[in-house]
Amino acid sequence: MNRIAAFFKKPFIRRYANYLVIGAAALIFGLLSVTGALSMSNQFLLEQISIAVLLAVSLSMVVGFLGELSLGHAGFMCVGAYLGGKIASLLVSAMGVGESNFLVLILSLLIGGAVAALFGFIIGLPALRLRGDYLAIVTLAFGEIVRSVLMNLPSELFGGTLGLKTPRFTRQYLFIIALVLVLACLAVTQNLIRSKHGRAIISIKDNEIAARAMGIDVTKYKLFVFTISSFFAGVAGVLYSYTQSTVQSATFDYNYSIEILVMVVLGGMGSINGSMIAAALITFLNVKLQSVLKGDMAVLKDVIYALILILIVIYKNAPGLSAFREKYNFKTLTAKLFKKKETVSKNGDTVPVVQEEAKDE
Amino acid sequence: MKKILSLVLAVLMIAGCCAALSSCGKSNTIKIGMSGPLTGDAAVYGKAVQNSADMAIKEINDNGGLNGIMLELLPYDDQAKSENVQTNYASMIEAGVQVSLGCVTTGAGMEFTALSKDDNLFFLTPSATGDEIPQNPNGYQMCFADSNQGGEAAKYVNSLNLSHIGILYRSDDAYSTGILKQFKENLNSNITYTEASFTTNQPTDLSAQIDLLKDCTFIFCPIYYTPAATFMLQAKDKIAKDAVYYGCDGFDGIESAEGFDISTIPQKISMLSHFDSKATEGLAGDYVKKYTETYGKDTLNQFGASAYDCVYAIFGAMKKAVEAGKEITAETSAYELCEILKEQFNGDYTFSGVTGTNVTWQSSGYVTKEAKYVVIKEVNAN
Amino acid sequence: MDFINALINGLSLGGTYAMIAIGYTMVYGIAKMLNFAHGDIIMVGGYAMYVTLLLVGQPIVALIAAIVFCVILGVCVERFAYKPLRGASPLAVLITAIGVSSLLQSLAQIAFGSAPKMLMAVQISGTVTLGSIHIAYYTILTLALTVVIMVAMTLFVKYSKPGRAMVAVSEDRDAARLMGINTNAIIAITFAIGSALAAVAGYCMLIKSPTLTNTLGAMPGIKAFTAAVIGGIGSIPGAMLGGIVLGVIEAISLSIPGLAPFTDAVEFGILIIILLVKPAGLLGKARREKV
Repeated sequence: MNRIAAFFKKPFIRRYANYLVIGAAALIFGLLSVTGALSMSNQFLLEQISIAVLLAVSLSMVVGFLGELSLGHAGFMCVGAYLGGKIASLLVSAMGVGESNFLVLILSLLIGGAVAALFGFIIGLPALRLRGDYLAIVTLAFGEIVRSVLMNLPSELFGGTLGLKTPRFTRQYLFIIALVLVLACLAVTQNLIRSKHGRAIISIKDNEIAARAMGIDVTKYKLFVFTISSFFAGVAGVLYSYTQSTVQSATFDYNYSIEILVMVVLGGMGSINGSMIAAALITFLNVKLQSVLKGDMAVLKDVIYALILILIVIYKNAPGLSAFREKYNFKTLTAKLFKKKETVSKNGDTVPVVQEEAKDE
Repeated sequence: MKKILSLVLAVLMIAGCCAALSSCGKSNTIKIGMSGPLTGDAAVYGKAVQNSADMAIKEINDNGGLNGIMLELLPYDDQAKSENVQTNYASMIEAGVQVSLGCVTTGAGMEFTALSKDDNLFFLTPSATGDEIPQNPNGYQMCFADSNQGGEAAKYVNSLNLSHIGILYRSDDAYSTGILKQFKENLNSNITYTEASFTTNQPTDLSAQIDLLKDCTFIFCPIYYTPAATFMLQAKDKIAKDAVYYGCDGFDGIESAEGFDISTIPQKISMLSHFDSKATEGLAGDYVKKYTETYGKDTLNQFGASAYDCVYAIFGAMKKAVEAGKEITAETSAYELCEILKEQFNGDYTFSGVTGTNVTWQSSGYVTKEAKYVVIKEVNAN
Repeated sequence: MDFINALINGLSLGGTYAMIAIGYTMVYGIAKMLNFAHGDIIMVGGYAMYVTLLLVGQPIVALIAAIVFCVILGVCVERFAYKPLRGASPLAVLITAIGVSSLLQSLAQIAFGSAPKMLMAVQISGTVTLGSIHIAYYTILTLALTVVIMVAMTLFVKYSKPGRAMVAVSEDRDAARLMGINTNAIIAITFAIGSALAAVAGYCMLIKSPTLTNTLGAMPGIKAFTAAVIGGIGSIPGAMLGGIVLGVIEAISLSIPGLAPFTDAVEFGILIIILLVKPAGLLGKARREKV
């Protein structure tokens, strides 16, 4: 135990621990899947977790680092899913290839992401003029507009209410690609945040006027973050379209945007690893509750989910509970469990979490 | 950051409980899966299906099951959303489901159709009316397909010598738009129409739509009964007292909503359906009586009646196959069972139940049975 | 004349939005939180009315019971879900509000089942006819109630002592506490008022169309939030104006058949345009930000 802990405390490992964990997950589950040892529900679960992580990390750019509230992240995903799905199905029939064509997947990911990024840029423009909740409502409005328009366009274009038929990638491999995309997204965001530009973005969150006074081009950075964030939301959308036989716009309503926001907030504002873990755990919880609570018990799913949400948020954030938190938290409890006196370093504590998470998948 | 760990603990606890719950119980039953809205704003339809299927299975089991093998229902909640179907489908397969009722709603059903093809899981859906739902060989419908309903409804309207009709539909629903599309294609070109639309299953205010339709004396409403009841209550003074509301099978159940006194609606209400919740005689009457006694009146509708028939139709086909020498046990795989059932459904199997007599299936999966023109209520005389 | 009728329908739609939005905007102004559970308080009020109607049968008694119940519920929710988070990030409170919203919906389904209830005793039908213009009684009642509430609330905030304390709390909570204002009590009062207004709004929805389900408040809640933003968050007359504007847009869009399916897009599109022209809403005060 101590040797493992010491290994994870090495600075190089600590810096890239999240890559290692995701990479290892992709490798292990990939091998399991290729040999046929991974069950269908776990393949679906990994797809869903990867999509949720992509969405949470990209939204965390806007909410956690830039400090703007966005309630329309599902709207960008919707654009990606519809446009990417449409391109993919056109390419599949034009090129006469199978549904699981890697080239088509890459092309549609890029195009879907690019179109979503374009929309992100457009929505970023009002962000320059609006603040706080006014911006939040504009993003919510955007999400609802996209959804309503795509559904009501002639069904020859985007399938109407029945949804757009999209190619479905082989289940055995899709989640591996999805995990690799998560790695790519992580590389882009983490390096961005740790760069000079990242510090500029965080300074805008802390104090926009002061940042401007320091000579930071606030306009440029805001648009940049919105564009990057919606690019990855679009990529997540295309990925989603590949997991489904049809893309239906009802999926991308404001509740979905809010669910992504919940992941980001629970993960801790301004923490990429936190967002990823929260996204994975919330998706896991939702999926498991859904498959276990059958029939008359189904109604309990939302009750359990809501109670967990409320209790965790209060436990984490309530100023009145800080003494309680000091006394009872994961660290002290595990320390007691392993009878370790030393406290784990601040960054090191992400590692055991991810291990736990990998175990129960 | 460190506080996330509390989240981990909570989730692990839940996961532990889940695992404990799901691992218990391995029994000698044939498992029937179902995915439908058990929560959310369409829950009333999914609950009706779940309750009725449960009721049918209990009856069958009380009578000895399939030569001693019991049936078991595994109902999963999809909130009528397609993105939830994957999880439900995987849970079904891993729980050992051998035959299924598919999805309750069309939108979610599209996903089920695509997924079940690979595993060759037989499904007979009670209420997903979309034309493409039974497109694969393993899928069948107990309800009429949209094209059938829309076409039949248009034929009826064509026969009425009307020059102008009103249409009220739900623009974000596959059922409503699906029927409407077929209806318009089959409607005589000399009949003009005024359209009004709403969104969501539970619109709160339909005055704008009623205003558009207020001069119509015949209004075609391819919508489910919850919004229909809202519409009728709000429109009762604004639309001509002798007007006719005409709907499809989704209309059925309208009288069962708690507190809804249908006699206060002056207009005539009629529908084209395979079931009538007012039935007092025959199999349908028995079903209505028993359902009302067990689950109350407020979820009584054709979704349930159709699900009740689905269970009996599957059971009947299995029984017939066993009589013909096929072997069906609790261990028969979904794939084998599907082949056995397909042979029956594509063959000369006929079924008589609550929603129709001498029901047969085409190899395309569409049902062939008689659609009844049901008058739910005549114009109030005064 | 069709246009005038659409306008009147818009007033009827908008009146309800306005009433919900007034509660929304007050809570937002004072507690500085987006109360996503506000719409679900409406739904709970509806069920309170349903239960009272079963027991008593008098719509007015039912309305009073719903108001009382909603006030208690609103204060309890504030006490147990929001108050522990006072001083924490507004986003944390937003998340608990979402949790409360889904909790209330699920509990309502557990308690009352999934089938809708028709509260026909509450419904008010009948119309006033002026030439070719028809105005339903419920439209008149809704608008009258909304105007009365708007005026009463504006006066209350301007002239009464707790009302002025509310303004103080919304301007600067810490300074208000230093001046001897019991900020916790003021916030609780605000939630009580907001919930009472939600109950009244629920009544206004049910007199129009008496279908009661556990998702009754979800969409109107979001629309009212939109209305509050159009009017300028925190401004009571703004919320009224925003609600009416939104209702009229919705009714007009619905009355044009080709456009009707796109109504949501039209509404939200106009919202974006309004906010681009007036970034703090129609009647909101733009604040200069200082370092």
